[in-house]
Amino acid sequence: MTAARFDDLIHPPTRLAIVSLLAASQWADFKFIRDSVGLSDSALSKQLATLEEAGYVEIRRIFVGKRPRTSARLTPTGRAAFEQHVAALQQMVAGSGLTIAPR
Amino acid sequence: MNELPADDAAQALAEIQRRQQQVIDQATVPGWYWWSVGALMVVLAVGVDTRTPAALGGAVAVFVVGLLSATGFVVHSQFLQARLRNGLLDGRGVVAILGFVALIVGCTLGLAFGLRAAGVPYPATLACVVGGTAMGLGGAFLMRTLRRIMLGNRAGSTR
Repeated sequence: MTAARFDDLIHPPTRLAIVSLLAASQWADFKFIRDSVGLSDSALSKQLATLEEAGYVEIRRIFVGKRPRTSARLTPTGRAAFEQHVAALQQMVAGSGLTIAPR
Repeated sequence: MNELPADDAAQALAEIQRRQQQVIDQATVPGWYWWSVGALMVVLAVGVDTRTPAALGGAVAVFVVGLLSATGFVVHSQFLQARLRNGLLDGRGVVAILGFVALIVGCTLGLAFGLRAAGVPYPATLACVVGGTAMGLGGAFLMRTLRRIMLGNRAGSTR
């Protein structure tokens, strides 16, 4: 069972959305994250840089032909932090008697 | 632990579910792909039943180019955007995919040989019309099954 630990770095809405997308992915394309979360290039770069500094995200830049392609993924540390954060949220909800309806 | 109101925690969990669902939906093979493969099967079968080298060669070319184009389009437009994490699709997903392929191929070949043995004209074409229709209908069902499995395996799943 995953230990519960609330993570202040992950929890802000924009970063939570980014990390949640990455949690279901092996690698996610920069444009896919940007369009899914609805951020500008610079805003997303800033958020990814914060997560990268914390060791939660790895950024990969490769060239497809002559065009650069940037993608990101969660590191094992980032994945563990995310799972602990989810466990902490679940504990808070369970303690209150609320439920999250599965979709 | 951070003192977060339970309502906020519930909203955060709902957002996590929604975002992970977004990635899973992005990686789902669209319905038109399965119908395209089914139609290409019929084209190939017509070439086989016609029994002329030119028709067979043309049918094989259409089949190969069509399959590569459809697969390339799906891979490029969807799978390269976000590659699904390993572990979302567990053993049940693998069994569902292999079972689907085995069922379509087995039933189509069995029907084709049966029709041929019964002396029915154009046995491969008739069998592939049935197999292709099963591919189109079954592909959508397979995707729904895989999606359900992946949603159940995502982080924070309530199932």
